[in-house]
Amino acid sequence: MANDCLIQVCGVNRIFPVPGGEFQALKDINVEIMRNTLTILKGRSGSGKTTLMNIIGALDNPTTGTVAIDGRVVGNMSDLARENLRRKDMGFVFQAVSLMPTMNAFQNVEFSMRLAGIKPGRERDKRVEECLKLVGLGSRMHHMPAEMSGGEQQRVAIARAIAHRPKLILADEPTAELDSAMAAKVTQLFLEMTRKEGITILMTTHDVGLMDAGDMIIELNAGEQVHSEAEPQ
Amino acid sequence: MHRIMLQKLKHKLWMNLCLLLGSILLIATVVSFPLYQTAAYDRMLQDEFQKYIAMEGKWPTINSFSIVSQKERNGATISRMEGLMESVYGELGVTEKETVSFYTLTTMNIRSELNRQDAENASLKLGALSDLPAHAKMLSGEMFSESGLTEDGCIEVVMSQSAMVNLKLLVGETIVFSDLRDTEGKEIRMYVKGVFDPVSSKEEYWQVKPEQLNNSVLMNLDLFRSMFTGEKAGKYTVSCSYYTLFEYEDIKASRAKELLEATKNLTEKGPFSATAKIPEYREILESYTAKQDRIHATLIILQIPVLIMLGAFLFMISGQMYDMEKNEISVIKSRGSSGAQIFRLYLYQCTVLTVAGGGLGIPLGMVFSRILGSARSFLEFDSNNKLELTFTGEVWLYAAVSMAATLIIMALPALKHSRVTIVKLKQQKALKRRSWWEKIFLDVILLGISLYGYYSFRKNSVKLGEAVLQGETLDPLLYISSSLFIVGLGLLFLRLQPYLVQLIYMMGKRFWKPASYASFMENAKNGRKQQFIMLFLIITISLGMYHATVARTILQNAYNNAEYMNGADIVEQEVWHAVTDRNGVFTGEYVEPEYSKYTDMDFAEAYARVQIETEAYAETKDNPKQQIQVMGIHTKEFGKVTWVDYSLNNRHYYEYLNDLAMDAEGILVSDNFRTKLGYEIGDSLTYSVGGESSSKKQSTTGKIVGFFSYWPGYAPTVTEVSPDGTASTRENLLVVAHYNKLKQAFGVRPYQVWIELKDGCDSTDAYQWFQDNGIRLTKYVDKATELKNTVEEPLLQGTNGVLTMGFLVTILLCAVGYMIYWIMSIRSREMIFGVLRACGMHKGELIQMLLNEQIFCGVFSVLAGVGIGKLASNMFVPILQQAYAAANQVLPMRLVVESSDMFRLYGVIVGVMFLCLLVLILLIFKMNVTKALKLGEE
Repeated sequence: MANDCLIQVCGVNRIFPVPGGEFQALKDINVEIMRNTLTILKGRSGSGKTTLMNIIGALDNPTTGTVAIDGRVVGNMSDLARENLRRKDMGFVFQAVSLMPTMNAFQNVEFSMRLAGIKPGRERDKRVEECLKLVGLGSRMHHMPAEMSGGEQQRVAIARAIAHRPKLILADEPTAELDSAMAAKVTQLFLEMTRKEGITILMTTHDVGLMDAGDMIIELNAGEQVHSEAEPQ
Repeated sequence: MHRIMLQKLKHKLWMNLCLLLGSILLIATVVSFPLYQTAAYDRMLQDEFQKYIAMEGKWPTINSFSIVSQKERNGATISRMEGLMESVYGELGVTEKETVSFYTLTTMNIRSELNRQDAENASLKLGALSDLPAHAKMLSGEMFSESGLTEDGCIEVVMSQSAMVNLKLLVGETIVFSDLRDTEGKEIRMYVKGVFDPVSSKEEYWQVKPEQLNNSVLMNLDLFRSMFTGEKAGKYTVSCSYYTLFEYEDIKASRAKELLEATKNLTEKGPFSATAKIPEYREILESYTAKQDRIHATLIILQIPVLIMLGAFLFMISGQMYDMEKNEISVIKSRGSSGAQIFRLYLYQCTVLTVAGGGLGIPLGMVFSRILGSARSFLEFDSNNKLELTFTGEVWLYAAVSMAATLIIMALPALKHSRVTIVKLKQQKALKRRSWWEKIFLDVILLGISLYGYYSFRKNSVKLGEAVLQGETLDPLLYISSSLFIVGLGLLFLRLQPYLVQLIYMMGKRFWKPASYASFMENAKNGRKQQFIMLFLIITISLGMYHATVARTILQNAYNNAEYMNGADIVEQEVWHAVTDRNGVFTGEYVEPEYSKYTDMDFAEAYARVQIETEAYAETKDNPKQQIQVMGIHTKEFGKVTWVDYSLNNRHYYEYLNDLAMDAEGILVSDNFRTKLGYEIGDSLTYSVGGESSSKKQSTTGKIVGFFSYWPGYAPTVTEVSPDGTASTRENLLVVAHYNKLKQAFGVRPYQVWIELKDGCDSTDAYQWFQDNGIRLTKYVDKATELKNTVEEPLLQGTNGVLTMGFLVTILLCAVGYMIYWIMSIRSREMIFGVLRACGMHKGELIQMLLNEQIFCGVFSVLAGVGIGKLASNMFVPILQQAYAAANQVLPMRLVVESSDMFRLYGVIVGVMFLCLLVLILLIFKMNVTKALKLGEE
């Protein structure tokens, strides 16, 4: 059902010019991601995971093929429309810590809501607290990033990604810097959020232990889609 | 190690280029100062010589000796003296220009063999002048021959025109000396061979003027010496004068003191010290060296802030570099490199940069000093004004010191950073520290010191002026106070700036857009990182404003003062003949030169006669003989050639003249009659002029119709330096009366004529007119020349040069520093920008964010700098100005702010900020979001 499908990737190729030729990072990718699911993108280093994420996140354009989000083809959008799409309907969690070093945890989360244009007020503050509590940082809200561990920072990043209730969260190796227990917890959190908050999450990982949690797994190998399967509901 | 360093140089190429630029500028600036100073001093010394020549019309560098060879010493004195003449140039270390020796025998009676009646009982001196044939042309007859003797053994002589007239000798006659015998006792005879005239009387050779030779005849020098000096000298008394002239143009300022010492040795301690005349150039050198010492001290103090800024600049950039390399350093460190190894690596790198900086900085320093030298006034250049640069030892010393300083400043932060380990780095990142200066309240301390300096100078401002008059160098604290004030206030602003930004944030807390919000956060947390560049901006601008005001104020006040004191465009006085009675006693009357001829002056707009009596007395209440000055004017004429600004008297100048014109008995008097002596309008004052010499001692009485504070050419107080060197100030009382009234009471007495020139005419027209009409003058002052001399005074010029230079260098540094700071700041935050872009922030918002940061950092600093600069100017410039012009400053000091300087300053700042913004925008647009993010994925 088209209505249940949030992301449609059709025949996407991505070719990067490299010295002395071209490098095809993605070869004819066709994926459909359903709403309110946790999709896991797996593959080795250099298999094209991040490239695909960037294209879906409207940060990069495919060389050929189209990506449609919520039925709208990203390639046809203006820069401004793509930026608005990113700030309102998407949340990002990056592999490396990406918090604003000058803002504390609360302010970092609040900032994404500011960007999404959510009006200031008690509502917004409550939402920030709620999100930080969700990631287990209710007691560290006013700490600066430099005062937190890598795992804590990553959880702030996750809280930031969900705070403005985006339709889609793109998480690039969100668990890379976390220990396995914390990684499992974060993945569990993602899964819960797809259920509770009505968010669709696409995350990349090479941690085999986390694969089970996903509703769908897409595997890439050297830019090619190996197979995609839907987990039984 | 070399490879790593080369890689580092290549890898951080543009950062290293910035460091290189900094070291080039530092070295160039430091080197330019001694280069400029040496050259400027040379020019100054030459100016002194030129001034002497212009005033005295004589060669300035002459040593002259005169001796009389005593019979009993067998002429030993003469040969020793001749030896000395040969060595004198070497001893002084100068180049010979002309050596003249003049020998004469004592006056002797002669008789002509022609037995002429008219030449009886004549007497003359037989003499010889070195090198005469080369410098004389014959009017009649011939020059003496090389042997100096005629065929029959007469001495051939020549004489000057004046001698011919005076001695009444004829060319071709033979003369016998009545009482001059040769060693064998034979009568000496001479043959008058010709009459000479100088080839050019302007030649320096003519130290013995032909007119002085009106009682002498001259013979061949070699013959003279063989006949009358040496072994034979025992019989004769010979007067010898020696003149050694040397080239003044070759004298370098650096040798002035040495030459002065050598001259003192020669004229005071040498074997012939008793016979030496104290040479005129000694005084020139003495006054020059005193001036040089004062200028040197002043210029050094003026340079200090610039040098500190340069050092700070390098420190800042190298600090930035280490900051960016912190991660690498800590990684290398954790792999087992010792701190010393890392330090050595940086030391290598800094050495390479310093050496390159020296190689390029020294030539640039030459360019700088040329620019300095061509500074006519502040920020004004005259390309015709070229300096001859010489590399003295001092220059190399400065170059070496500046290179060492550059190396230390660049490498010093490495010492600190080489100790950084990963653990410490993480700890450091977590800390929000106050700057060290905030903790010790450096801003308050500096302000305290500077205000103390300010108040103590203000309290002692009179003493300050007197100290300058007594030739003391200026108190460095005076300059330092103003710099400390600027730095202190700048730091205080930095302390307050975060609160100010916070306040703005609070005012619109709920309404700020994400971009502004991010900038507020950035400023609140990272603001301290910007303190250095902010302080830099503040100091550059305030110091720039302050220096501009100092330079303009000093110059303009000196100019205004010279203009006021000179009264009119041209002030002249003719030669007045005093009338004497039969016994030659002065009758007290003068012959007035014809006044009507002045109507012919087609170059004059107006002219007026002005009688100035410096020796005049008034009968006051407490003192029957109070010394005053009297000025006699014709009100209508005087009003046409002079002007006094309204602000000086707070009354229109013409109102005074009208008041005086209304009352034939009226007088205008200076304000001190009222304030010091208690006179009021309507009071009568009895006064007399001419002092003791005047035969007519009667006095006259005038009615006071007005009091003025300022009057053309009038100084309310006069400061005099007594011979023991102490300065004292006394009131100057002036009475202005009608010229006709003075004439009636005291007769016609010499007056000056004050002339106002027509537009387009200058002093040369006037001077030509006086020459053409054969008018002899005892006084001729033209304002334009006076003004030119005032403006070109070396201390002023040097000050202008250094201030201009400092201003340009700081602006350049500021521009480069600001740019570097921002580029680095952006590059170090690229990843964050990538994240923000990924989160959907527009490019415009990012630019808005950076713009805000620039406002908080740059615009705030500029505004603070402008404010601080204004305040510092208002407080310190009047004190400083007093120190420069205390001696002859009459007008009240006026702070001069040339708006064009300020526009230039603001223009440069705005230009730099605009350029910065442009580069930032360019960087933002070039920034690839995914690439920026990848940076974070490493």
